[in-house]
Amino acid sequence: MNANRSVVGKNLRKLDGFKLVTGRPAFTDDIHIPGLLYGKILPSPHAHARIKRIDTRKAKDLRGVHAVLTYKDVPRVPHTTAGQSWPEPSPYDTYLLDSKMRFVGDRVAAVAAESRAIAEEALRLIEVEYEILPSILEIEQAMADGAPVIHDEPDSTGIHDAQTNLAGYILREIGNVEDGFRESDLVVEREFRTQRQQHCPLEPHITISWLDSDDRLVIRSSTQVPYHTRRQVAMILQISVQRVHVVKPRIGGGFGGKQEMLLEDICGALVLATRRPVKIEYTREEEFYMARSRHPQILNIKMGVKRDGTLMANKMTVLATTGAYGSHANTVQGNTGSKVLPLYRTPNMRFECHVVYTNTPVAGAFRGYGCPQGFFAQESVIDEIAQELGMDPVELRKKNMIRLGDIDDLSAQLGEGRKGLPRHVRSCGLPECLERGAAAIEWAVKRQTLPQTTGHLRRGVGVACSMQGSGIAGVDWASALLKLNEDGSFNLQVGAADLGTGADTVLGQIAAETLGVTLDKMIVCSGDTDFTPFDVGAYASSTTIISGGAVKKASEKVRDHLLRIASKMLDIPVDNLTCRDNQVVTKCECEKSVSMEDLAHYAMYKEKVQVMENASHWNTDSPPPFCAQFAEVEVDTETGQIRVVHLVTAVDLGVAINPMQAEGQSEGAVAQSLGYALTEEMVLDASGRVINPSFLDYKMLSAKDMPKLTTILVETEEPLGPYGAKSVSEIPINAPAPAVANAIYHAIGVRFRRLPIRPEDVLPALREKELPSPQRS
Amino acid sequence: MKTMQVCLNVNGESKEWSIAPGDLLLDVLRREGYFGVKRGCEAGECGSCTVLVNGKPINSCLMFAAQAEGREVLTIEGVEQGGKLDPLQEAFLEYGAVQCGYCTPGMILSAKALLVKHPDPTEAEVRDALAGNFCRCTGYLKPVEAVLAAARIYRQVGPSGARPRAKHRSALHGKKR
Amino acid sequence: MFDHVEAFYRPSTIPEALRFLAKGHGRGRFVAGGTHVVVQADRSIRFLVDITRLGLDYVRQGSRACVVGATTTMAGIENSPAMLALANGILATAASTSGSVQERNMATVGGDLANASPAADIATPLLALDAVVVVADARGRRKIPLADFFSGPHRTVLGRALLVEIVVPAPPRGGRVGWSFQKLGRTESDISVVNVAAGLQVDLRGCCRWTRIALGAVGPTPLRARTAESRLVGQRFDRDVLERVCDAVAREVRPITDLRASAEYRRQMSLVLTRRALEECAARGGCPL
Repeated sequence: MNANRSVVGKNLRKLDGFKLVTGRPAFTDDIHIPGLLYGKILPSPHAHARIKRIDTRKAKDLRGVHAVLTYKDVPRVPHTTAGQSWPEPSPYDTYLLDSKMRFVGDRVAAVAAESRAIAEEALRLIEVEYEILPSILEIEQAMADGAPVIHDEPDSTGIHDAQTNLAGYILREIGNVEDGFRESDLVVEREFRTQRQQHCPLEPHITISWLDSDDRLVIRSSTQVPYHTRRQVAMILQISVQRVHVVKPRIGGGFGGKQEMLLEDICGALVLATRRPVKIEYTREEEFYMARSRHPQILNIKMGVKRDGTLMANKMTVLATTGAYGSHANTVQGNTGSKVLPLYRTPNMRFECHVVYTNTPVAGAFRGYGCPQGFFAQESVIDEIAQELGMDPVELRKKNMIRLGDIDDLSAQLGEGRKGLPRHVRSCGLPECLERGAAAIEWAVKRQTLPQTTGHLRRGVGVACSMQGSGIAGVDWASALLKLNEDGSFNLQVGAADLGTGADTVLGQIAAETLGVTLDKMIVCSGDTDFTPFDVGAYASSTTIISGGAVKKASEKVRDHLLRIASKMLDIPVDNLTCRDNQVVTKCECEKSVSMEDLAHYAMYKEKVQVMENASHWNTDSPPPFCAQFAEVEVDTETGQIRVVHLVTAVDLGVAINPMQAEGQSEGAVAQSLGYALTEEMVLDASGRVINPSFLDYKMLSAKDMPKLTTILVETEEPLGPYGAKSVSEIPINAPAPAVANAIYHAIGVRFRRLPIRPEDVLPALREKELPSPQRS
Repeated sequence: MKTMQVCLNVNGESKEWSIAPGDLLLDVLRREGYFGVKRGCEAGECGSCTVLVNGKPINSCLMFAAQAEGREVLTIEGVEQGGKLDPLQEAFLEYGAVQCGYCTPGMILSAKALLVKHPDPTEAEVRDALAGNFCRCTGYLKPVEAVLAAARIYRQVGPSGARPRAKHRSALHGKKR
Repeated sequence: MFDHVEAFYRPSTIPEALRFLAKGHGRGRFVAGGTHVVVQADRSIRFLVDITRLGLDYVRQGSRACVVGATTTMAGIENSPAMLALANGILATAASTSGSVQERNMATVGGDLANASPAADIATPLLALDAVVVVADARGRRKIPLADFFSGPHRTVLGRALLVEIVVPAPPRGGRVGWSFQKLGRTESDISVVNVAAGLQVDLRGCCRWTRIALGAVGPTPLRARTAESRLVGQRFDRDVLERVCDAVAREVRPITDLRASAEYRRQMSLVLTRRALEECAARGGCPL
C-alpha cells in the first residue's frame, strides 16, 4: 500500500515462531510445578436435575485427595462466564458450583488430588442423589406453555424473562418492513437452521493456579481475556483484584472459545482450599461436554425487492438457544442482526430475536459471533431472489450493497447489549472484492458453462458476501507500554492476548514501523495482568485496530522523546530529525545520525532518563471489513457427497500489517466454515448428552479434505485504523457456507437451508426434484 | 505403584527411565521434559502428540511407553541440529505455516518422515502425510506450501540442513508465488 | 488411564505370550498397535502383553497363498509389493484408507480383525479374498475362515487365543479377473460409512464364472452378500444383471442407523458402491461394461 513503509505491510516471520517450531516450553502446561495437584470436575449426567443429597466423604477419604468441593463449600456469587467488559451485557446466571444441574456436563463437584487417576477415582466415589427434572432440549419447546423453568433461582440477574426461559430478546426496526413488502414486486420468505459447532482448539482449555510467596493467586491459563478473567475470578472467589495475577502464555488456539472464564474460577477455588498448586485441563471429551459452542439458530428471513432488484425490505426473525447459561446470549444474537442486515442498503429493516435457555451445552463466543448464521440465511435468500429475477447473483449484490460514505443506523440500535453507535463506512473495498473474486473463480465463464455433468458428478459455482466489525465501538479499549533498552531494543508490553493469531508480531510491526526500527528490536510481552497494561482481550476482531491503535500512540510518544534526545545529541532541531533504520537521522542532506543504541546509552547514563511511554486507545466506531467468497463444488448425484473444488476469498481488511499472516487468518477461517457447511455438528441424544464428543465422530476437515484456496487481500485505507488497518480474523468465516450452498444450487438445482449439508440429505432432495435443466445466470 | 525400566533412545541420547507398566509414551515424554509433544485428544485422532519411532510417525498417546523399549524416538526437540533449524522448521516460519503452534511439532515430524523417505512428494502426498495432524488455525495451505518448499532443500542438501541459512532462505523461495 | 496395570510383558515367542496372557486370569490383554486397546481404555486390564516382538510382522508370498503376519501394520500392507500385486492391490488400497499415516503405522491387521469393528476397512477385502486366520492357544494352532471368525459387533470366536497370521489364498486365475475396493466416509480419512470389496471373473463369452461381494459397516459384522453373488454367477455380465445384483445387495445388507449415517443411506450406498466396485472389477479384468 505504501512503498515508504519498511515493516508494516511486510511478510515478516512471527516473533514467537522460533519457539513454536522448535517445541520450546511455551504453553500453559509446559512447566513442572512441585506439589502440583490435579483438579477434576464431576459432570452432571442429567440435563436438568436438582441435587437432593451429595456425599463426598468417601472421596475425601481416598488417599491422595486434598479437596472435594460442592456448592456447600463455595461462595454463591451470580456471574457470567463471558469474558466481556464490565458491566457485562450477559446475564448473571452462573454459579461457581450450584445445587441445580442445567445440562449434561454441568458442574456437580470438583476435586483436587495428587494424580489424575486419583482425581478420577475420587469423582467415582462422590455419591449424588438427584431429583430429575423435566428438561428442554429443543429450541422450540423452551417458550412453550408449561415448559420447565431452567433458571428458577431468585438471585440471578439480567435475564430477560426467566419464567419463559427467555435469556434475551431483541427487536429493532428501521422504517417499516410491512410497507416495504407492499412496495415490493417479489417477496421471498424462507426458514434456515444452523447447528452447534465447536471451536476445537487443538489445545483444550487448561488452567494452572497457585499461591505465590506473597499469597497472591497466580492463574496461568489458556485464555483470550486475561484482564476480564482477573476481575471475574476475584469477584467469584471474593478476594480482591489485587490478589489475582493472570498470566497468558502461548495459546493453542481459541476462536472465541477462550473468551470465557471457564476453569480459572474453580481452579482458583481448589487452590484456596488446598493451598497447593492445582491444574485443571479438559480432556477432549470434556471439551465437547463442558466448553462452549456456536449458538444454534432457527432463522426466518423475508426479503422484498423491486423487479429491478432494488431491495425494499429485509426482515429477519431469529430463535436461538444459548444452552443452559446465557454467556454471550444477547451480544452474539445482536450481531446476527447488526452485522448482517446492513450489508445491503434497505430502507426498511426489522430484526427480532428470542434467545432461549435449553438444557443443552452452553453456547458462547465463536469466531464470526452470530454472523455465520445470519449470512447463511441472508446470502442464500439473496441468491434465490437473483434466480427469481433472472439476475446474476453478483450483480444483484453490487446493486444493493453498502457503499463508501454510508451510515448504517441499525448498528446504532444494536450495540453490544446496549445502545450502540452509528457505523460510518469510511473505507469499502467490497466492489473490488466481488470483481477480483469473480475473476479468480472464472465466474462469468462458469456461470455459463456449468452446471456441467460428468457421469454422476455435477459442478456449480456460488457466491456470498459478508461484513464484520473491527472492535466494539465505544466499548473495546486497549493500552500499550513501550520502553527503550540500552542496546536500542524495546520492550513492548501489551495486555492484548495473542492466541496464535500473530497479534504479538503485528503489534510489534506497528511499533517498529513507527519507531523506524527493525522488528527484531521488539521484545513483545502480552497478556499478563501484573506486567502489561489493560486490554479487553482478543475478541471482536479488535486487536489490530484497537490494541494496534494504542501501540501506535505509545510508539509515537516514544519517537517524539527519542527525537528530543537526539536533537540534543546532534544539535539539530527536532523538526529536522526522523527515525529510520534503527537510528535517528536528519531529514535534510547534511546526513547526521545517531544509532538507537548510542541514543539509548546517552539517555540512560547521561540524561538519566528511562524513555518509556504508554497510551490507551478506543474508537467510537467499528470499521467494517468486507468479504466476497466464491465456491466451486462438485456434487456426486449417486452418493450425495459434496466436494468443494475451489474456494476464493477476496477480503477488504484495510491495510494488511502482515499480508502472509492475514492470508493465514483467512484460510483458517475458511477451513472452519467449510466444516460448518458440510461436516461439523455436535449431536445430542434424547437425554441431552453429546454423542460425538471426539474427533472420530466430530468431523473437522484435514489437509486432505481442503479444496484449492485462493486468498485475495483487497487493501483499502481505513482512517480509524493504525496504518489504515481494519481486521481480518473473523470475517472470512461468514460466507463460505452460503457460497457453498449457492454453488450446490447451481450444480443440482436444490436449495439447502439446514447446516451441515449432509450427503444423505442431498439424495432425497435430488429424488424429489429430478435433475433440472441447467440454470443459466 | 509398580514400576519397570524402559531403555530407549530419544533424540540421539540413550535413556533409561523408570515407568509404570501402564504409562503411555506421551505422558512419559512430557514428564521427562519433552514438552514439544502435545496433548490434544488422547485418542490418536489429532496428531498433536506425533513423534517418530524408528523413523515412522506415530501417535504417542496410543503407544505404551514400555513398547518403546530399544526403539529410537525423535521428538521436535531433536529436529534442530547443533542449534541449526531443520529446513522444515525454516520453511514453516518463512511461509507463515505456524499460527498457534500447537500442532506444529507434530506436523513437522510427520513431514520430516515423509521427506526423509520421499524428498520429491506431490502436493497430494504431502496432504496425505499431514492428514493425521489436525490444525484448526491455518486451513493447511501454508503448511503444505512449507513442506513442498522444504522438500526442495532436502533434495539439494539433505535433511541435515548443513548449508548456511541465507542460502536456505533463497532456496525456500524457489517457487513461491 | 491404565494406572491399574500391574505388569507389562514383552515376550519374544508365541508360547511365552500365551503363558503371560493366561497368567492374567482374564484381566490380561494382548497389545500391538494400541489403536484399539488404548482408546477403549478398559479399566479392568491388569496385565498387558506386547505381541510386537513375536516376529509376526511379515508378508510372505507363496505359490498358493499369501500369508500376512498378525502384527503387520496397515502401512506394512500398503507398501508391500506382494499386497500391491495381489487382487489389483485391494488390500493395500483398503490399508491405505484406514486412517492417518500415524494410525496406519500403528494399527495392525491382526488387531483390526480381533477388534471386529463392523466398519474395519481391511476386513472387507480379506473376506472377499476368502482369507483364513490362524490362531494359536495352549492346545496348538488352528485355522478359522474369516467368514466364521466374527460373531457380532466387536465380538469374535478368538477367545483367549492369539491371532498369529492371515492366509490369503491365491485368487482364481484364468479368464478375465478384476478386483475393486470402494469406500465412503464423511471425510477423506474417516471410518467407513460403507465399504465394499468385490472380485469378478468373467469367461470369454462374457459370463460371470465366479464372484465375491463383501461389505463393511452395513451389518453386525463385515459380511458377504452371498445371495447377490449367486445371482451373478453363471449370468452374462451386463447392465441388467448388474442392477439386479446391486438390488440384491441392498436387500441383503443389515445396516443400522447411527450418527455416521442412517440405515437407509447405508443401504442405498451399498447398492451404489457395489455397482462401482463391479464396474471397476470388469474394467480391471479387461471387459468393461
